[in-house]
Amino acid sequence: MRRRVWAWLALSSLCLGQLAGETRPHYGGTLTVEETVGDQVLGSSLSIPVTEPLVRLGARGEFEPVLAVAWQHDPDFKRWRLSLRTKVLFHDGQPLTAASAAPSLLESLRPKYADVSIEAGGQALVIKSGQPMPSLLGDLTDAPVMRAVDVGTGPFRVAARDKFLAFDDYWGGRPYLDGVIVKTPGAGGADMVSIPIGPSRRIVPEGWTTWSSVPKALLAIQGVNVEANVLKALALAIDRAPLANVLAQHKAEPAFGLLPQWLSGYEFLFQYPPDLARARQIIAQLRPAPLTIDAPANDAFERSMAERIALNARDAGITIQFKPAGDLRLVHLPLQSKKPAFDLARVRAQLNLDDLTSLDGAPPEALYQFERAVIDKYHIIPLLHLRESYAISPHAHFHPSSDQFALHFEDAWIEP
Amino acid sequence: MSFRTKVFLSITATVIVAVWIVAAVVSALVTDSFERRDSQRTSALVSQLQRELDRRGADVARRVEAVAQSEPIGRLAVNLGGQIDASQYFAVAQTLAQEQSLDFLELVGPDGAIISSAEWPARFGYKEDWLAQPVDWKSQPAFLKKEDLADGSALGLIAVRTVKAGDGVLYLAGGQRLDQGFLVSLPVSEETKLELYRNFDAPASANKLVEEIRRQPRQLTQVTDAASTTAIPLLSRDNQLLAILLIENSRAELVSLRKYIQGTAAAVGAVGVVFGLILSFWTASRVTRPLRDLASSVRDVAAGKWDTRARVASKDEVGQLARDFNGMTEQLVEQRDRMIQAERVAAWRELARRLAHELKNPLFPLQITIENLQRARNASPEQFDEVFRESTSTLLAELGHLKTIIGRFSDFAKMPAPELEPVDVNQIARDVVQLYEAQLATPDRAPVEARLDLDAEIGRVPADPDQLRRALSNLVLNALDAMPKGGTLSVRTSRQHGKVAIEVSDTGEGLTPEECDRLFTPYYTTKQRGTGLGLAIVQSVVSDHKGTIAVQSESGKGTTFRMEFEA
Repeated sequence: MRRRVWAWLALSSLCLGQLAGETRPHYGGTLTVEETVGDQVLGSSLSIPVTEPLVRLGARGEFEPVLAVAWQHDPDFKRWRLSLRTKVLFHDGQPLTAASAAPSLLESLRPKYADVSIEAGGQALVIKSGQPMPSLLGDLTDAPVMRAVDVGTGPFRVAARDKFLAFDDYWGGRPYLDGVIVKTPGAGGADMVSIPIGPSRRIVPEGWTTWSSVPKALLAIQGVNVEANVLKALALAIDRAPLANVLAQHKAEPAFGLLPQWLSGYEFLFQYPPDLARARQIIAQLRPAPLTIDAPANDAFERSMAERIALNARDAGITIQFKPAGDLRLVHLPLQSKKPAFDLARVRAQLNLDDLTSLDGAPPEALYQFERAVIDKYHIIPLLHLRESYAISPHAHFHPSSDQFALHFEDAWIEP
Repeated sequence: MSFRTKVFLSITATVIVAVWIVAAVVSALVTDSFERRDSQRTSALVSQLQRELDRRGADVARRVEAVAQSEPIGRLAVNLGGQIDASQYFAVAQTLAQEQSLDFLELVGPDGAIISSAEWPARFGYKEDWLAQPVDWKSQPAFLKKEDLADGSALGLIAVRTVKAGDGVLYLAGGQRLDQGFLVSLPVSEETKLELYRNFDAPASANKLVEEIRRQPRQLTQVTDAASTTAIPLLSRDNQLLAILLIENSRAELVSLRKYIQGTAAAVGAVGVVFGLILSFWTASRVTRPLRDLASSVRDVAAGKWDTRARVASKDEVGQLARDFNGMTEQLVEQRDRMIQAERVAAWRELARRLAHELKNPLFPLQITIENLQRARNASPEQFDEVFRESTSTLLAELGHLKTIIGRFSDFAKMPAPELEPVDVNQIARDVVQLYEAQLATPDRAPVEARLDLDAEIGRVPADPDQLRRALSNLVLNALDAMPKGGTLSVRTSRQHGKVAIEVSDTGEGLTPEECDRLFTPYYTTKQRGTGLGLAIVQSVVSDHKGTIAVQSESGKGTTFRMEFEA
C-alpha cells in the first residue's frame, strides 16, 4: 500500500513537473508578428522596446522609474534634477550618461518648452526652463533616450527594418526571445496576428487566444459648419450599440465622452439612449439641408460606419450624402496614456484647440468640463472607444506583467 | 420674255422637276427600307433582351438557390432559433455573394430584419417588409427590383429563396445588377446604341419619349433625323416602372445616303440647268434664226425692198412659213406691178381726160371764133374788122389760157429735188401773204382779211425756199378760192416737239369728208377751172421735205391745212 502511494506520488510529481515545464519561460526562439500596416487607429500596443524613456506610467497611472531612478524639482517646476540609472549601456556599447542622454531629450522637449536647457553632469541631469514645467514627467514618458537613430537602451536592438534582436547587455536582463520579426498580413507562419478593427473577418485559428487592449482610441464625428442642433439630433439618432457590436465586431465600446469610463471615471455622465422621436422633432423644426460625410472607399470600417450613420440619420429625417471633405468627418483620437489629462491634452492638440485652459494637474471636475466644452464647442459626437486586438498562437506566451494596456515583448517567450 | 428664255426655263424646270421627283422617290424608298431594317433590328434586339433577361433570371435563381444550400446558411438557419450575434454574420452575405458572383444578397430573418447585406452591409437590422408577403418565392422567377444602396439605388434582377429556420423562415434575396454592363452583353451593331434610363433616381428628363412612357408605360418609338429610338419600359413585379431601355438606331447612314441623293440630285439639277442653257441656245438658234430672218425680211419688205426673200433653211413649219412668205412677197410684187401698171394707165387716162377737158374748153371758143371769122369774111369790112378784132382778141386770150394750162402741167412735171438750206419760215409766210395782198384788195371781189400769227421762236428750218414758197402760195390761193364771199385768211407758224408747223386756214364753206380723202389726188379739183395739181404740188413739196400735210375741215366753218417739217 505504501509503495503504491509513493508510486502515485512520484507519477503525480512527474506530471505536475511536466505541466509546469510547459508554462515555464524559455530562452531562445524568434517571435513572428503579422501587423496591419498603416493602421492609424491603433498600433501602439505592438511596440518593440528599442528605446526607453526616463520614466513611465505604471498600471495605476503613477510614474515609475526607467532610466531615471530619482527626480526632484523646485517649487516653481522650472528646474528639475534627475538621477540616471548606472550600468546602462546603449546598443552600440556606450554607457548611458547624462551627456549622452541630453541631446535626444532636448529634441523631445523643445517643441513644448522653447527655452528648455539641460545641464549634464555624470549621471545627473538638470532640466531648466523659464516657464513652469509641472508636467515634465509626463512629457518625459514620451521622450525616448537615444544616442542615434534606433540606438537606444531597450531590451531589443534594431537589426533590420522589420527585425529586432535581443540586447544581451540590457540592464534589466536579456529578454527570453532571441528576436522579433514583424511581417505584413498574409505572409503566413506568424505567432501573433493583429486583428484590425472593422467588419472584415479574420478567422482566428483554433487554439489561438485573443488579446484585446483597453479602449485606446476614440472614433467620433466632427461637424464642420454644421448647426449645433442638427448635430444634436444626429447624436440622438445614432444607435451606437450596433456600431460597437457589429461594425466593430465587439472590439469597441459605445462612446459618449472623449475618454472611456475606465480612464476618466465620469463618462457615464455623458451617456444617453438613442431617441429617434426627439431627433425627428428637432429636425422637423430645423428642416436642414442635406449633409455630407466623408466615407473613404478604401477603408471598409470607416465606410461601414459612415453608411450606418447615414442610415440612422435618415431615420431621423437627416439626409447624409457621401462626399470627400464633407460636412461631417470621422476623426480618430488616440488614447495612448493612462492619465486622463495627458490624453485630453493630446485630443486638444489633435483638434487644434487653443482656447481652453491648461489641464496639467486638473481635477476630474475640470477634465469633465473640458470634455463637455470640447464636445459642445467643437461639434464632436463620440461614437466608439476602440480596442486593439491580437490573435496569439498557443506557442507564444506573454508574462503576466503584460496588462490590457500593452504587450511587453521583453517578458515574452516562445515554446521551442 | 424671249423665246430663248422661255425655252431655257422650260427645259430647266423640266429637268429640275424630273430630278426632284426621282430624288424624292429614291429617298422615300431608301427611308422606307432603312426604317424596315431598323424595325427588324429593334424587334430582334427586344427578343434578345427578353431571352437574356430570362437566362440571367434563371442564372440568378440558380445562384441564390446555391446560396440557400450553402453550409453558412445552414448554420445560420440553425442558429436563428436562438439569440444570434449579428456581428458573426456581418460579412456572410458579402462572402456568399462573392462566391456566387451576385451583386446583391440579403439574408433576412423571419421578422423581416436584415441579418446580413452584401450590397449595403451597414443596413443590418433594418426591415425588408416586402419579403414577408405571403408569396411562394420558390416558384417565383427572377424579377426586376429597385435596390437601395448606400450611395443611391440600382436596378437589380432579383430572385428570392427561403430556408426553413426553426419555426420561421430565413429569406435570401439575391441578384445581379442590371446596368450598362448588362447592355454590353447584348449583341448590337455599331449603329445601335443602348441606354438604360433608370426611372427611380432620374429627375424630369428632357427626352419626350421617356416622359411619355413615364406617364403611360408602353413600348414607343420616336424617329428623328439623327436616330430612331425605341423605348421599352422595364417593370417591377408589381408593374411599377423601374427603368426604360432606350434602343437608339443611328440614322447617320440614312442621313448620309439622303444627303448623297440630294447632292446627286442637286448636281444633276445643275447639269440640267447647264444642259437647259445649252439646249435653249441651240434650240433657239435652230428655231428663232429662221424666224429672225423672216422678221428681217418682213421689215425689208415693209421698207420697200420688194425683192427681199426669206431664207428657207428647213422643211418644217418655219421653212413652210418662209416659203409662204416668199410666195406672198412674190404675189405682192406681182400685184404691185399690176397696180402700178393700172395706176399708170389710170393716170394717163386721167391725164388724157384732164388734158382733153382742159384743152377742149379753150378749143371750143377757138373753133367758134374761127368759124365767126370765116363767116365774117362775107360781111362788110367794118363788120369783119370788128369781128376780126374781137376774134383775134378771143383767140389770143384762149391761146394764153392754153399756154397757162400747159405751163402748169409742165411745172408739175418739172418738180425738181429740193435744195435744202436754213429758211426763215416766218419771212416766207410774210412774203406770200404780202404777194396776195393786192388781190385781197381788188374791188371786184369780196373782202378777205389776212391774218399772220407767226411764232418768233421757231427759228430756221432746213428747206428749199422756192418750193416752200410755191407750196404756201398754192395753199393761200386755194384758201382765197374757197372764200368767194370773203372771209379771213389765217397763216400761223409754230414749233412743237421738234417740229415746225405752218397752218393756212380759210373761213369758206369747207369740204366734205369725201373731198378731204381725194384732196391730194393729182388732177382732182373742186373748182370750175382748176387743174387739180395745186394740192398735188403741195403734197409733193412736203413729201420731198420729209414732212407731213394734213387737212381739217368743217362744213360751213372753213378748212385748215397744216404742214409739219423737221426743225
